[in-house]
Amino acid sequence: MPPPNEFAEPDLGLPTYPVFPFVHPSLFWIGLPLIALPVLIHLINLLRQRKVEWAAMEFLLASQKKHRKWIILKQLLLLLARMTAIAALLLMVAQPVLKNQWGTLFGGSNTHHVVLLDDSFSMSDRWADTSAFKQAKQVVERLASRASRQETPQTFTLLRFSRAGRGSSGLQPDLISEPVTADFAAKLEGTLGPLAVSQTAAGPADALDAVERLPAAREDETRVVYLVSDFRANEWNEPTALRKALGKLDTSRAQLHLVNCVDTGRGNLTIAQLQAVPGVRAANVPLMIDVAVTNHGASQVKHVSVLLEEDGHARPAISVEEIPAGKTVSRRFPVVFSTAGEHLLKAQLESDAIEIDNLRFAVVEVSAAAPVLVIDGSPDGKDAYFLATALAPGGKIKSGIKPIIESARYLRSNPLEGFAAIYLANIERLDPAEIEALEAYTRSGGGVAFFLGERSTSDFFNKQLYRDGAGLFPAPLAQSVQLLVDRLEKVPDLQVTDHPIFAVFSGERNSFISAVIIERYFATAPGWQPDPASTTKVIARVRNGAPLAVERNFGAGRTIAFLTKAAPTTTDQGPWNNWARGNPSFVVAMLELEAYLSAARQSVATRFVGTPLEMKLTAGSYRPQVRFTMPNDRGATSGKDGGALSVDAEQAKDALGVAFHETQSSGFYEAQLTKTDGSNEIRRFAVNVDPAEGNLKHLDGPQLAARLAGVRVKLHNAGDFAFDTGQLAGFNLGESLLYASIIVLLVEQLLAYFTSYHPKPIGGARR
Amino acid sequence: MPASKRFLHPEAIGRIARLDLRARQIVEGFLSGIHRSPYFGQSVEFVQHREYVAGDDLRHVDWKVWAKHDRYYVKQFEEDTNLRCTLLVDVSNSMRYGGAPMNKFEYGATIAISLAYLLLGQQDSVGLLAFDERVRNKTPQRTRRTHLNSLIQALTVSEPAHKTDLESILREAAEAYPRRGLMVLVSDLFADRAGLFKGIKLLRQRGHDVLVFHVLDDDELDFDFSGPTRFEGLESNDFLNCNPRALREGYLQALNGYLEEIRRGLAQNDVEYALLRTSQPLDQALAAFVANRQAANVKRN
Repeated sequence: MPPPNEFAEPDLGLPTYPVFPFVHPSLFWIGLPLIALPVLIHLINLLRQRKVEWAAMEFLLASQKKHRKWIILKQLLLLLARMTAIAALLLMVAQPVLKNQWGTLFGGSNTHHVVLLDDSFSMSDRWADTSAFKQAKQVVERLASRASRQETPQTFTLLRFSRAGRGSSGLQPDLISEPVTADFAAKLEGTLGPLAVSQTAAGPADALDAVERLPAAREDETRVVYLVSDFRANEWNEPTALRKALGKLDTSRAQLHLVNCVDTGRGNLTIAQLQAVPGVRAANVPLMIDVAVTNHGASQVKHVSVLLEEDGHARPAISVEEIPAGKTVSRRFPVVFSTAGEHLLKAQLESDAIEIDNLRFAVVEVSAAAPVLVIDGSPDGKDAYFLATALAPGGKIKSGIKPIIESARYLRSNPLEGFAAIYLANIERLDPAEIEALEAYTRSGGGVAFFLGERSTSDFFNKQLYRDGAGLFPAPLAQSVQLLVDRLEKVPDLQVTDHPIFAVFSGERNSFISAVIIERYFATAPGWQPDPASTTKVIARVRNGAPLAVERNFGAGRTIAFLTKAAPTTTDQGPWNNWARGNPSFVVAMLELEAYLSAARQSVATRFVGTPLEMKLTAGSYRPQVRFTMPNDRGATSGKDGGALSVDAEQAKDALGVAFHETQSSGFYEAQLTKTDGSNEIRRFAVNVDPAEGNLKHLDGPQLAARLAGVRVKLHNAGDFAFDTGQLAGFNLGESLLYASIIVLLVEQLLAYFTSYHPKPIGGARR
Repeated sequence: MPASKRFLHPEAIGRIARLDLRARQIVEGFLSGIHRSPYFGQSVEFVQHREYVAGDDLRHVDWKVWAKHDRYYVKQFEEDTNLRCTLLVDVSNSMRYGGAPMNKFEYGATIAISLAYLLLGQQDSVGLLAFDERVRNKTPQRTRRTHLNSLIQALTVSEPAHKTDLESILREAAEAYPRRGLMVLVSDLFADRAGLFKGIKLLRQRGHDVLVFHVLDDDELDFDFSGPTRFEGLESNDFLNCNPRALREGYLQALNGYLEEIRRGLAQNDVEYALLRTSQPLDQALAAFVANRQAANVKRN
């Protein structure tokens, strides 16, 4: 079961404050009359005054006349000072809680240390006998130790970057508003000890954002936020969002300390990519795999060998001669899987600064043969024949493609999901249900190719399939036109672009393509040009510049329209082209077309550590409980080491949705599904670390300060990190009132001294 | 306590008995005594020769000079006389201020009576005048020892009143005791200074040797009060509620100014002045004063 989405505020057992801003309001009210005490004492003294019959009234009256005003002023001041002193003592005992800006100016009585600990895998950066994460842990320990020595109440929150996500796993601090008491050190050690670097690339943004969502331990607390991280350039180089987050904390009057845990940026190699090249994925058909290695270092690296494993068995390693600094180098190698099903690929680099990104996993699904649907509108079926022959030549050559030739009716009555691609050749018309089925197939990632012919009419294509750009067909048509023969012209009839379909023909002059003769084609509507902002592109033209092949994306899938006929046969309007007749380039282009059309369906989303594995199951076919097996520390699926968890699927419309959130490490994950008939089905997933996190380039103090100019932060290095005790002690208002009381009492004493009588050693009048 | 014991302290008397109080200036008396007289008389102290005129006592003709010069000269001798001393004692309300062991009145009266005892002991005649706003009691000058009792009686005044103008009191004293003698004023002098100085000047013009004992209490000199206090005038209807500590400085300033004025005014009239604290041991104060005066007289002669 996934953890709760919303962060629930725990009951911290701390006092809640009434509306009146005092910690002890009753003490305040009880003590309030005491402020009048000096006046009362004065009045009592007046009642108690002594009566003296005095002879020398003359001098007394003279003195009184002379000093009267000054005496009254001094006495009033003294009275005021005494009342102020009592008020200050009273406030000190009652502990006022000032919530406005003045309160924060004085500081709260409680200091809340919020430590945001970077545990992204770049923190596993090793040097000498330490690592960035070890340094970070030491910083946290030192912080706690200093906090425990403060006199004011201290609370401590520890939040790892990987646990600060806004996602479904929610906010999961390791320590939350923990009072720093005598046994705190032991508790922190127990928490901090087992912590290890995660495999996520979690950045500081979520963690900073989470500080706002943390509950306050006390209303008058002063927050001190420590960002203990490695400050990698890829996150902090343009920290617009981070500046905003830090600025937000700054305005909420939290103190910000950035603690850098690495000494310098080190070189590191990362496997940036391991994936199958789009193409036919069928058993016993060679499949090309791309592997890419990025050199994040500042100098070039030579002789890098990439170790490969295929279904757990070692393959010959690939050697990369040289990777320039900061560059990514790709290598492509063929793999032939002998069986249909999911196959596991693993690439590994030799040990360097960071281990975690030296591994890369991929799951490649291979079918026995890739079925494609060919719909032919011509009565003789020649178009379908030529297409099917090109896709599956037969004999010793195995393309892995299995063409199925059907009429248009097939579209409305059969599921299309199983087809790698659909070809429509020389169709006259489709009814709305067929168009809808075709569009639904394309939207969900399918690839559709159109070939026109003598039966095709611009009226149907424009109204039903193009629909002013809303439909499947990529371009509006005019009439079929004949390409005039120009004997003097040396330019080939077929002009191709560097589109993947024609990529193999690019470069050198190719006699096969130049041998293609186009005699008739459908012109596009006059004045039509593909909108540069759209996905519609002309990928091949005839000699006169008119479009011959146009493609567009439609939903998740794509469509390509060839505006001429597939079959090189002669029609009533004459021959259309000779491409399929004995020209090998037709076969090559059609296989590439097939690979291109099916790529959208084959593309597997790259899953990074921390993102959930999601599946949609057909309702009624599967039981709702799915058992996930997690990888061990080498990435291999093993129920013994990695552990397994069962997840209940949730009913969503007509499908079962399954989401597995425990993707905390890279490797192969297995989902074991149970069908309603009792049989099992295994699906495999590859989860990888984010290769960008492997970039260890880091910003030093001045660089970071320059990028964070205007935000009030303090920068520290882990090695020499020691915070100012006074600053962290917080400003207990009670304590400040104590000092205020002392000052007022001193002033009172001073005033009293000057107001009162102090006999001189000799004393009296002169003799 | 009998009145004689009230103002006669054996220890004070004991200390000053060995001393004698001499008039600093020439005084008139009718007994041969220890004070110089303006009259020539029978004495061992030769003063001058004078040519004989008819009527001179033949006993005083210096026959040795006649024998040498054949001219008649008479020898003149200095005549000693007894001192006529008048004690002017302030018995007004303000003199009642003060606590143990003595208030200002008692202190002043003791000084007066001790001096009277001393003077009577050396055959001088002593009179006393007790006054407040007017002269309350007056005794004539006598040389008899028994006169001491009448002096003491004169000091006993019921319902003392406020002091008014000292000038009139002193004028009255001058008229009551016209013969030159010693005038001893014992008072706290809380009265109009101009009147005081005028009165003193008058006494001096009449040829009196004037001596002022200024008696003040410690409280009055130091103003050592604390706590809220209501001061009510002993010789006026004024009152003042105050914190005495606050007023002390100003009070002492005013008091010192007043004492300085008294001192200067009296010095101008060549009057001997002694400020006495009631806490001061009386015998010491008196002995010191008398001894000083003796020394001054020796120096002068």
